[in-house]
Amino acid sequence: MALTLTCPVCGKRNGYEFRYGGEDKGPKPDDFGSSPETWCDYVHMNRCVAGIQKEWWCHRDGCGVWFTTHRDTLKNLEME
Amino acid sequence: MFDRHKPLWGKPPALKQSYDAVIIGGGLHGLATAYFLARHQGMQNIAVIEKKYIGFGGAGRNTAIVRANQRTQQNVPLYKEALDLWPVLTKELDYNLMFFNCGNLNLLHSEAAMSAARMNIASAQFQGVESHLIDAKTCKEMMPALNIAEDITYPIFGAMFHPPGGIVRHDAVVWGLAKGAAKYGCHIHQHTEVTGINVENGKIVSVDTDQGKINTPRVLLTAGGYSAALSYHMLGIKLPISVLNIQAMVTQPLKPLLNHVISSGAYHAYANQTLKGEIATGAHMDAWPNYTTQTTAYYIRHQAQAITEMLPCLKGVKFMRHWSGLADMTPDMAPIMDGNHPIEGYYMNCGWGYFGFKSCTATGKYMAQFMATDECPEILKPFHLGRYAEHRLMGETAALVTYSPDN
Amino acid sequence: MSRLQNQPTLRVDTNKPLSFTYKKKTFSGFKGDTVASALFSGGIRIFSRSLKYHRPRGLYSLDGECSNTGMEVNGIPNVNAEKTLLEKGMQVKAQNVKGSPELDAMGFMDSLDRAMPAGFYYRTMHKPARIWPIALQQVRKAAGLGKISPDFRMTGEFDEIFPTTDVCVIGGGPSGMTAAIAAAETGLRVILLEARPWLGGFFDYRQSEFSRDLPHYQRARELEARMQTLPNIRVFTHTAMVGAYSNNLVTAFQIGNEKDPFDERYLEIRAQSMIVATGCIERPLLFENNERPGVMQIACAHRLANTYGILPGKRAVFSVAHDLGIEAALDLFDAGIEIAAVADIRDNPSHAALVSELEQREIPYLKGWVAREALGAPLKSVSLTTLQGTFEKKLECDLLVASAGMTPVTGPLSMAQAELAFDQHTGFFLPKSLPVGVYAAGRLLGLNDSRAIEASGQVAGLSAALNCGKASAQALKDAQEMLAGRPQAERGCNLVMAPVKGRKAFICFDEDTTVKNIKQAIDMGFDATELIKRFTAAGTGPGQSGIPGHNLPLLVAQHHTDHGALTRPTTMRAPLVPTLMATYAGTNHLMSKRTPMHERQKQDGGVMRKIGVWNRARYFSDDFSCRREIENIRNNVGMLDATTLGKFRIFGPDALKALQRVYVGDMAKISPGKIKYSAMCNEDGCIIDDGVVVQRGENDYYFTTSTARAGITVEWIRYHTRYDGWDFNLVNLTDAFGVINLAGPKAREVLSEVIDADISNAAFPFAAYQEFTALDTIPVRIMRLGFVGELSYELHVPGSWMETLWDALSEAGKPFGIANFGLETQNVLRMEKGHLIIGSESEQRTTLHDVGLGGLWDRNKPAVDTVGAVALQQTENQEKRLKLVGFKMKNTRTPPKDGSIVVDDRIRGHVCIARYSHTLQEAVGMALVEDPLHAVGTEISIYEDECQGQLVSATVVPMPFYDPKGERLRS
Ligand SMILES: Cc1cc2nc3c(=O)[nH]c(=O)nc-3n(C[C@H](O)[C@H](O)[C@H](O)COP(=O)(O)OP(=O)(O)OC[C@H]3O[C@@H](n4cnc5c(N)ncnc54)[C@H](O)[C@@H]3O)c2cc1C
Ligand SMILES: [Zn+2]
Repeated sequence: MALTLTCPVCGKRNGYEFRYGGEDKGPKPDDFGSSPETWCDYVHMNRCVAGIQKEWWCHRDGCGVWFTTHRDTLKNLEME
Repeated sequence: MFDRHKPLWGKPPALKQSYDAVIIGGGLHGLATAYFLARHQGMQNIAVIEKKYIGFGGAGRNTAIVRANQRTQQNVPLYKEALDLWPVLTKELDYNLMFFNCGNLNLLHSEAAMSAARMNIASAQFQGVESHLIDAKTCKEMMPALNIAEDITYPIFGAMFHPPGGIVRHDAVVWGLAKGAAKYGCHIHQHTEVTGINVENGKIVSVDTDQGKINTPRVLLTAGGYSAALSYHMLGIKLPISVLNIQAMVTQPLKPLLNHVISSGAYHAYANQTLKGEIATGAHMDAWPNYTTQTTAYYIRHQAQAITEMLPCLKGVKFMRHWSGLADMTPDMAPIMDGNHPIEGYYMNCGWGYFGFKSCTATGKYMAQFMATDECPEILKPFHLGRYAEHRLMGETAALVTYSPDN
Repeated sequence: MSRLQNQPTLRVDTNKPLSFTYKKKTFSGFKGDTVASALFSGGIRIFSRSLKYHRPRGLYSLDGECSNTGMEVNGIPNVNAEKTLLEKGMQVKAQNVKGSPELDAMGFMDSLDRAMPAGFYYRTMHKPARIWPIALQQVRKAAGLGKISPDFRMTGEFDEIFPTTDVCVIGGGPSGMTAAIAAAETGLRVILLEARPWLGGFFDYRQSEFSRDLPHYQRARELEARMQTLPNIRVFTHTAMVGAYSNNLVTAFQIGNEKDPFDERYLEIRAQSMIVATGCIERPLLFENNERPGVMQIACAHRLANTYGILPGKRAVFSVAHDLGIEAALDLFDAGIEIAAVADIRDNPSHAALVSELEQREIPYLKGWVAREALGAPLKSVSLTTLQGTFEKKLECDLLVASAGMTPVTGPLSMAQAELAFDQHTGFFLPKSLPVGVYAAGRLLGLNDSRAIEASGQVAGLSAALNCGKASAQALKDAQEMLAGRPQAERGCNLVMAPVKGRKAFICFDEDTTVKNIKQAIDMGFDATELIKRFTAAGTGPGQSGIPGHNLPLLVAQHHTDHGALTRPTTMRAPLVPTLMATYAGTNHLMSKRTPMHERQKQDGGVMRKIGVWNRARYFSDDFSCRREIENIRNNVGMLDATTLGKFRIFGPDALKALQRVYVGDMAKISPGKIKYSAMCNEDGCIIDDGVVVQRGENDYYFTTSTARAGITVEWIRYHTRYDGWDFNLVNLTDAFGVINLAGPKAREVLSEVIDADISNAAFPFAAYQEFTALDTIPVRIMRLGFVGELSYELHVPGSWMETLWDALSEAGKPFGIANFGLETQNVLRMEKGHLIIGSESEQRTTLHDVGLGGLWDRNKPAVDTVGAVALQQTENQEKRLKLVGFKMKNTRTPPKDGSIVVDDRIRGHVCIARYSHTLQEAVGMALVEDPLHAVGTEISIYEDECQGQLVSATVVPMPFYDPKGERLRS
């Protein structure tokens, strides 16, 4: 265990209490579903940023909240 | 007989200004493709560009398990051919890849798992691949260290036994392929990083590296766990990939104890004994993207708990080394192999997750054919990128994958 | 053998003898001995044979840098005897020998080295191909060191703790203790880890002066005493740090003792600051036969005498490059060993006074000389040479103390992501930059002066405290000035190898890698240290890189001639000290959940199975076809414990919106007193769950999910509404309620015995929902459902009432023949009824359409607002998908096995479930088959495993098989 994350409700906690919820892609875009490609782009495609990215996490073994945070995927550390 | 030692993959060549094909990544798939291009497709003016040293990625970190008992009929023939190629390549390369054909025992922990395995087994048998369902008692006879008592978290019901599988020495594959590719003219440039791919009029024209530009009409992206990031960064092409860390570890060397590879989905663990005598084990992944290749304390504990339930004698054995590598996971646990789409001359071979060692020989062969002829071989067609938008996941996993947030 | 009695630094208690066995003989040592020190004292000089060449190996270091003293102790292989405390009755055995370590039948391997150059495996044994399978079995047998029996069972207690602390100090030597004290004095909590059973580090065994009249070992005890006055320091001795992870997570394992009587304990420490004060080990000197028994490192010889009271030899030659070597020579001389010569690689010792002490004792001091070859086995003499190899001399001895200098123990630092760089002056890999909250102190910084070492501890302790918000910047400044006033890091010896060819100069003992092998690897094009390590295996054995860790990169750099520029250490990996799996497994946390009826079901003969996180009853008899159980449901009545179903309450103003989002149906159409069956899909349109929803009040719903989804549904619903800011509350009640499925034609009669209300078919019809009070007390929520195709009730009761209600129903049901039924029975019953179980009749890629439940999808809801609806639109008319069908066997007696495949010239699908139905008197099943084979009436061929090509035929038929009109469940 190395990762810690800051839950907006519970504060800084062990990363294994959380579930990752993907890159933050924003709400479904207006053209979502207009074609298989737009659907797929939102549902399956990732940027796979090697660096800092905004992403979703759920405090699964805690309060259950979903929140976004920034994390450096090259260091596996949440940004302060 | 050994007194003269020549460099295995030749003296370091100078970077040329142009090549007929540039392969990004000196890993398994990159080197295999280079070898087949140079030796079997007659395309010898080619270069493999590797940012660190060959085998730096998954190629040097995997646990070297090979098998051909995949779930779907799109996958089985590819892996079967890959398996059949180990002895062939050992000979062709004149390099002992040390294929240890010990067979794989995939442990099953419930009636439902036995049924699910039966589907793989029937599929394998139908396609001419040996695989059998065996009961717990037989498992125990084959592997006396196994605990088939009922008082463990996931009691063992039986196993899928796949005799043609086993382990191969992963480093030997890297070095052997490099040796073979270099012998037929391929340039292997280590410590050279690709930083950009240039496209004009929908066609590949060159790649940028930290050592200079290379003109080329063909590029193959086989950068393992880095492929998806590179693809988006250099070409704006997003891939359905999550880059996770997969960890593995070995124990101190022991005299022969495990005569087969064993694995267990329920325990998220597998183990095999290398020819050096170490028990190599691994399997779990943190379900979030992470390029660190750092290990975690959580995981080595989990592994010890899981492995010692199945193989309790290992409680008296010590872990010695723990490492991590990247696993580029796709939504359907099958790779992406595609070419000339959406850019002419652009080929990709990625999304191999934690199963891209066993396949590299066959994919090298067919990707080389693809690149040399511009014609996608039949066997690779099902792996095209478009399948995700077409709502045709491959079915290599029966269950929902945990690293996708939408499951 | 008797021990030196008047060493003040002894750590053995010669009043407490302990006996143990080795080679079928009884040996004895003392309390405080390690297995190796006791054996050495008992005259054992050869402890093992090496991996490849079966060379004899002896005591070389005392800290486990190599596997020379790897032995089997009490059935446990690869035990490092030099680090393992002796216990009474231990059974010790040698490893990797045929015969004994002294007379090993495999000893001839040593002469075969020319046939085994670096990487020889890769280049041999594959021509002709048929020899490899045979050769490989020989390779396997020869490989490996220890042996473990498949029947071995670890006994003992394995503990674990997970403390948090402000400052974690690794290393209990002078700098570590000073750091701990400095940090603790600011009021912080400090944890100090020390690998040895005692504190003191390299002060502990030294009788030389720290200051006037204060020997080093006394100074260490002073520091220890000072620590004891600070209750906020927790000291863990005999605790090896094994891992460091980001955010200063430190793992370690501790060996138990009388006060803490566990065997081993796993520690996982989360610290705000971490101080690495792990000191130095010695850098092995490379010369021919540098690992011959009789050759040992300085501290090994020194500590054998001072810590264990054992003379390491009779006549010694020293070949060293550090003052500690001279100090050891003096001490050993005083203890009674003859010293033939002290060769020193350096031009001058750092402390001239030491040389005059040698002179006083008439010990020859050879400046600029080094050992070039150890001769004889056991050691008889050593040949020394000048550094250029010009002159040589041979000296007789039975002990050669050899060391090329010190090397810092940087494993913890590099694991903590510190960046290390080669330093020309010290010849060390020194931290170039340290991550936030990580500090280094002591000898590993290249310091040698005892007080500088302590001062660096003071600086690290205060820096660590400052990082925790304590300590004043001024105090830190003062400490830094104090450190600056002491002697700085000393110039280190850079010599890697004596002027020899290196055919038998071992850079890695564990893997039998010689300097010659390294040269061969370089010639073959392996230029990076990491690659050479892989190719030659140097540093990959049990001692990890303890022996080659420093020499290998130096040697490689030397080859590249630009010494320094390329010198990079190889990656250090956890566990820094090999650690038992038993220790990592600790008390083992793999868990399973049990329902309130678990024990009762077992008493009733339930055969329990682990299903997901739960334990559930699968059968209630040895007849796994469950015929009696099944017939009892069809004819009478039975009870199933369905507690594992996911159960949820969702309420609040936007509860309905949330349900609309995740269910494919129109949830606005739920009517009071009625249940609504619906399904959830993921964005792929693939079915992931089905269940029922009831409305219990305004904006207040209760719903169920499949067992598999119970743990994940809350986060899933919140995930799919995360951008909306809706106001609803969602509670997982899965563990709060038990569920009884009461099913069978007589279910109503049984239920009316416990419920005093009108539950007639008219008052409480199929698909109704109502809340009752059972036995005048127990609140029950009852749903009339029909998963198994009979009249049935799903009773949801608070978990604490579950057993009471269950018992009451069993009692009431007796006259009606009530019996338990398990999952397999349910499985057959629901199959007969054509009901699917997600995961059994669906795969990851199976859509709602594919399983024939497309009708559940309400197209009038905007597709983008319902999870999966876009995919349902896009896939609705797709061809060649796998569709769920029912089939009947041509041969009506025999069903195919589950998992059999459907084939023609290729694979077209597979059988999800098939059984011989006693109810229907024929074999039926469900399969996923490729469109268009799913059309009713199609004949399909089924291929079973081991069928040898003998296919069986079946016909696709409509479902359900049983009671197609649904009369029974509505009756
Ligand atoms: C711990 C672990 C265990 C595994 N176990 C198994 C197993 O038992 N069986 C199995 O079949 N598979 C296993 N795998 C998976 C297997 O190792 C990978 O799928 C395989 O290595 C992928 O091969 P590759 O050639 O695509 O990528 P890699 O082998 O990772 O090679 C990619 C190369 O690209 C280079 N590169 C990246 N970016 C650039 C750039 N910009 N320019 C130039 N070069 C670049 C990298 O340095 C790297 O060398 C395991 C993986 C891991 C991590
Ligand atoms: Zn929280």
